This record gives sequence, C-alpha cells and structure tokens, in this order.
Amino acid sequence: MNIFLVVLTYFGYIFIMAMYTTKAVKFLRLPRHLRWELYPVMHEERYRYGGSYFEEIDWITRSRRKGRLRSIYFLLKEYFTMGEYLKRHITYWLVLYPWHIGFILIIGFHICTFFAAVAMLLGLPVSGESSFVAGRLFYYVLLVMGVVSFISGVIGSVGILVKRLSDDDLRPYATPQNYITYLFCLAVFMSGLYAWYFVDPTFSEYREFWMGLIAWRPITVAPGAALHIILFDVFLIYLPFTRSMHYITRIFAFFLIRWDDEPNLRGSGLERELIKQFGQQVTWSAPHIGSGKTWSELVKK
Amino acid sequence: MKRKMKIEDFGRPARQLVTLEPSDLLPLPPPYDEPRPLKQLSEEQRERYEASLDGFVGIGITKPASAKEEEEFVRKFLSGLKKLLSKENNWTFLQPLVHSLDYCVKCQLCNDSCPAYVASGKQEIYRPTFRPEILRRIINKYLKKESGILRKLTASDIDLNFTLLARLAELAYRCSLCRRCAQVCPLGIDNALISREIRKLFSQEMGIAVRELHEQGTVQQLKVGSSTGITPKALANIIAFMEDDIEEKMGRRIEIPVDKEGADMLLLHNAGEFLAWPENPEAFAILLDAAGISWTLSSEIAGYDAVNYGIWYDDVQAARVAIHHAEAARRLKVKKICVGECGHSHKAMLVIADRILTGDLNIPRESALPLLADLVCNGKIKLDPKRNDFPVTLHDPCNMVRLMGIVEPQRKIVRAICPQFREMEPHGVENYCCGGGSGFAIMQSMNFPDWRNNVSARMKMKQILEAFGDVPDPAQKKYVCAPCSNCKGLLRDLIEYHGAWEKSGIFYGGLVELIVNAMTDLKKPFIEWEWH
Repeated sequence: MNIFLVVLTYFGYIFIMAMYTTKAVKFLRLPRHLRWELYPVMHEERYRYGGSYFEEIDWITRSRRKGRLRSIYFLLKEYFTMGEYLKRHITYWLVLYPWHIGFILIIGFHICTFFAAVAMLLGLPVSGESSFVAGRLFYYVLLVMGVVSFISGVIGSVGILVKRLSDDDLRPYATPQNYITYLFCLAVFMSGLYAWYFVDPTFSEYREFWMGLIAWRPITVAPGAALHIILFDVFLIYLPFTRSMHYITRIFAFFLIRWDDEPNLRGSGLERELIKQFGQQVTWSAPHIGSGKTWSELVKK
Repeated sequence: MKRKMKIEDFGRPARQLVTLEPSDLLPLPPPYDEPRPLKQLSEEQRERYEASLDGFVGIGITKPASAKEEEEFVRKFLSGLKKLLSKENNWTFLQPLVHSLDYCVKCQLCNDSCPAYVASGKQEIYRPTFRPEILRRIINKYLKKESGILRKLTASDIDLNFTLLARLAELAYRCSLCRRCAQVCPLGIDNALISREIRKLFSQEMGIAVRELHEQGTVQQLKVGSSTGITPKALANIIAFMEDDIEEKMGRRIEIPVDKEGADMLLLHNAGEFLAWPENPEAFAILLDAAGISWTLSSEIAGYDAVNYGIWYDDVQAARVAIHHAEAARRLKVKKICVGECGHSHKAMLVIADRILTGDLNIPRESALPLLADLVCNGKIKLDPKRNDFPVTLHDPCNMVRLMGIVEPQRKIVRAICPQFREMEPHGVENYCCGGGSGFAIMQSMNFPDWRNNVSARMKMKQILEAFGDVPDPAQKKYVCAPCSNCKGLLRDLIEYHGAWEKSGIFYGGLVELIVNAMTDLKKPFIEWEWH
C-alpha cells in the first residue's frame, strides 16, 4: 500500500505535468495568425477607455510603450476575484468562486507541503510550537490553506452541481462529463475534509508522507488519509481530460490573441515568419480559390 | 418551438425550427412599441431554398435534388472542416479557433452581451454559445471519432445531414461578428470568430456564400473595381459631379485629385459613399483642401473602393482585395494610405491586412479620424459650433472601436463642434453593433432585411431613441453621427423602416459632414436634412 501510494503520487504529478506541457506546446506551436485583437488592450497606454495607438497620426513612426505589468495584474486579479462573473452573474459567482478558490488553495497547499517537507528534511521542524518562525509559518499557512480549500471546495462542488442542474441557461449545455467532474471534485474535497477532521488535524502525517516521497522512504498513513491521497492523485490524472487547462490557455488567449496588437514592420522577424507561412500549399476546394497553389500564389490572383 | 428548443433538435426535420413572434422581441419605447408582423417567405421560396432555421433567408442554399447530392454536401462539409483545423489551410485563424473550440466552459456569461440574442427575446438558436456547440459536437463525432461512450459523456451525439448543415450555414449569418460576447469572456473565448470560421468553411470549400458579399462583393470588386459596380470610367463622372456640387455649395471649385503620383496620402473611401452619400467624400475634399494636405484618390481597380467584404467570410478573398489596395498605393508612390469613414475597411486595411502585406506592399496605413481630430481640435480650420446646434449622438462602429481601439478622436470632434452632443449608453468599446455588421447592412435577400430591422438592429434603435428621449418633437431635427458607410446604410434602412424621420425627426450622416457644416466660410449649411 505504501509503495502504491508513492508510485501513484509520482505518476499523478508527472502525468499532469507532461500532459499540460504537451498541450501547451502544441497550442503555442500553432502558426502565427492574423491579428484579431479586442479592446481594451491592457498594455496600451490608453487602456482606461480602450484606446489604441491607431488613435495617433503617423502611429507607425511613434514609439509604443507596453504596460506588461498592468496586463499581468489584470489577469491575476481576475484569477483571484472572478470579477466578470461577480459583475454579470452573481448567483453563478457564488458557487463558482468557492469552487475555484478550493482549487487554487489545494494546489497552493500541495506546493507548500512539498516545500515544508523539504525544509523538514533539511532539519527545520514544522509545527505550531516550532522555535523557528519559518516552521510556525509553514504550519499555519498549510493549516489555513488546507482547511479553507476543503471547505470551500465542498461548498463549491455541491453549489456548481446544483446550479448547473437548476439553471435553464446552463443545464442544456452541461454534459455528463461535467457532472462526473463535479462529483469527483466533491469526493476529493470531502475526503480531504474527512482526513483533516478525523485523521490528521495538523497535517503532520501528510507532511511525513511527503518527506517519505521526496526521500524515497515510504511512510505508512492512516486509511482516511490514504483515501484522500489516492483520490487526489487520480484527480490529477483525470484533469487533463477536462477543460481544466483553461486556467493556463487563458493566459495564452489574452497575450497571443486578444491583446496581440504587434504591428508587422518591414524587415521584422514577424514579417519573415509570415513570408515563410505564405509558402504553404492551400487545398481549399471552392472554384474561386484555385486550389493546389501556395498562399502567396493564390492571393495574387 | 421557442426557447425550449434543444441542441439535439437542430438537425431534425421541421418546416421551421424557430418562429419569431413580434410580441417576443425586445420592446421599443413609444411610439415604436406596437408589434409589427414579420415578412414571411412565399411557398415557392420555401420550396426552393433551405429556410427551416427561422424562416429568414440570408444565403439562399438550394435544396439537394437527390440523396446522392445530399451525401456529397455532407462529404464536402467534412472535408472543409478538416481543412479548417489544419495548419496549412487555416494558418490565418487556427490558434484563436482552436482555443475557442477547446476551452469554452459554456458558462453562458456572454449571452446577454449579444444584441441579437437579447433583442430576439432570447431565442435559443441565437445564443452566442449555440452555433459553436453544434460545430464542437460535429468535430467530436466526425473528426475526433469519439467512441460511443465518450460521445455520451461529452454529449456529442449528432447526425449530419443537409438540413443541419444548411441551418448551420444560415445561422452563421445571424451573428454580426461584433464580438461583444468575446469582450466579456473571462477565458478569452470568441464565439463570434467561430461564426466567421463557419462562414469561411462554406465559402472556401463549398463555394457557398452570401451573394452580396461574394459574387456582387469581392468578385465584382476584383473584376470591375468596386462592389458597387462603379468602373474607373464611372468614377471619373462621379468625381466631376462632386466637384460641381462642391462649387455650388461653397461658391468656389475644388479640384479632387485623382491618381496624383507622389501625394502624401491615398485616401480610400467606401465606394458606397460615391453613390449613396457623395456629400461625405465631398466634405473630405473640402476639409483636406482647406488644411492644405497633399492627397489623392486612385482610379485603379479596387483602388477607389475601400471595402473588403472578404474579412467577413473568406480569408483568400480578403487577402486578394487588401493586396489590390496596397498595389494601388504602391503605384502612386504615396507615403501612406488613409482610410475614410468606413469601419470594416479600417479593420481590413489596418488590422487584418497587417499580416498579409509584406515588403513594399507594407505601406503605412492609418485612420482618417485622428487627422480630422487634429484639424478640428488644433484650430487648423475655422469652425463655429453654433452651426451644429441640434441634438447629436454618436454611433461607434464596432470595427473601429472595440476591434481597433479608435475611440476618442471622433469624440473630441463632436464634443468640440456639437453643443448638444449626447452619448448613447453603452458606448465606446462597449457599444452595440448597429445591426448591419458583417455584411447584414447590404444583404437584401428575400425577407432578410426584415430580420435585420427587427432583430439585429433593434438594440441600436432602442439606444438611439433613448439618446434622444428628451427631445421627442419631430420638428426638432436630430443627427445620428455614424462614421461608417455600412452603419449608415443600416441606419438609413432602420430609420425608414420605423418611420423615425417622420415620427421623431431622426436623421443620420457621417462625421465630416458635421465638421464641414460648422465651417465658417460656408455660406449655407452643408447638412441639408433631406431624407434620401
């Protein structure tokens, strides 16, 4: 059982990272597309009202400053507040928000647990009575993150399930897989809550488990905690088969599509990239296209 | 069958999937609140064309004569769908398309931002997420070939037939591509793009497109010079007429430069202006002459018509038109291309063509609006705002504003020269489409104009009426300023359809007309308030 948990956990993390990386690379390697931006573009100086450099005469001769930090701030703020949902669909936000906070915190909880375990292996005691500030900090951050994540996740999972089933706009577009995901999430968060409340109230056993993982030294955990570990690991394996990657692709969509206002200047790298793409064969079949030629040949028709 | 229609019903046989009831439509304020019957197709038209979506016809796809023809229709569609998802054939939009297909969580947050969906009384088929969902299911079943269980899990059971595909094609022309839905999506999903890509698949693979956009649009433009049918010879006559007209209005003659080599800028007008609103290019000529700017028009094929309908339905046609525009500028050796009052031409030339034009075709391109704002706001022309002392509201063309970020120049102008200027709500990048976007303004097929006037343009009508709500008296003339030819075309039909000129004194026109109307050296008003 101990070995099984170690192998499953390693597999779960490696699998999700490999799948997400593969998907991300595949997406990022898609060809450079035509411009399709949408305003406001957050890095623009005139972002407050949605203005662009096209508002200037001879814009091509002027320098363009991009507020990249503002763009990042905008995305982060949206991650943590889900402001568009709050503004436009508050009843949905009321369930969606705790659900996502559950996810964010459970990820944060696992990352912190990993570092806490590393710290413990290096000799830092992690507990509420630790003589080290860092030890106490790890202890309380993990406690808050874990507990809030489980409670929030349970509320969110039940809420989103009920909302999807009861809302006339949402129900027709929900798939059986959506409901499976909600129930799976509920099981993961519930098992976490159970493990914390009945088995491991300070998460000390879970930290021990992680120390064992890192040091290749399988640690025995109580069945309640083992159940949560198994469910969470299987959940990691399941996630790449859902639309969960929208958390990452959203960044691509904003930076590479919605805010991509990079002009194509003569002699630029972008121009060279485009010219390369123009050499590809096009096989659209409508009579007016003139199939079988390269893009550059057929558009000069 | 109205709102409760299910996605699964989309391919099922029915005389008409959805029936729009006038009483379900978004209410307009009085005296425009009386429901009006919607124009029905004749039985003969129904017999011949596929009209079972909502009883309106934008494309006019003829029904297959045999089972073999239907099979071929489906086969071609699937072949096009594969190409739509391939790097070689769709480098132009593959990345945005894949993102929107793969990562929409169907939260429906975008629904209420769609003017057509809301104005229709929230008809299911017009929901922004509806058509992408149909396409997604087709892809899952026929391209990804998901197994039976997986199809059940992802709810992707859908059976392709002619009716479903013809409805899907028609439905792609119920979205004006205003991209208001995309603007509110926290995940960056663009359902309007999916409508556009569906149109593209039908055009580039199956040769199916709206006649006004394709045969009479891009094809005619590339052949004779303009989608209006104006030939270079006819253009010369129109220019002469415009010079006479200017002389009559100003008391002095201005020579409109055509094919002036080495001019600083080539001005591109939507050729619809020459035919329907010649006062607009006349006003440009007056202003540029007064400001002493070196400019020219072109008389080359496509060089005198800024329109590029390709951007709404066909990447190849869009690229061909853009290249013609750039070639006209290159031959004239101008320093830059300046686009007049036409929203989609702005986007076509400055945004879409930006990654099509390379080398010596990549000539600097910009909007006329910043130039006009400079003339007005920096005192380069003598103006008297009192000459525009009537209520004015400003319509924001989606292509210029939400899709290009040109928001303030036009506002600076109207604030400076129109004492009774008032904004519509919402405005700027959150504006509503006029209802004529993506070709709707020029689509005249069968009863399609009735759909446009009652559904896609309804929200704009409401906004206009509300903007002028404090001055209902028809004796008080009011001006809807729309710096876009297609928006003006829509407004002309919309105001006429609702009788708003007679009932409320609502008139429409461009931006330059307002500027010239305020010029102090004009003896009589430039705006003539004559309905045409």
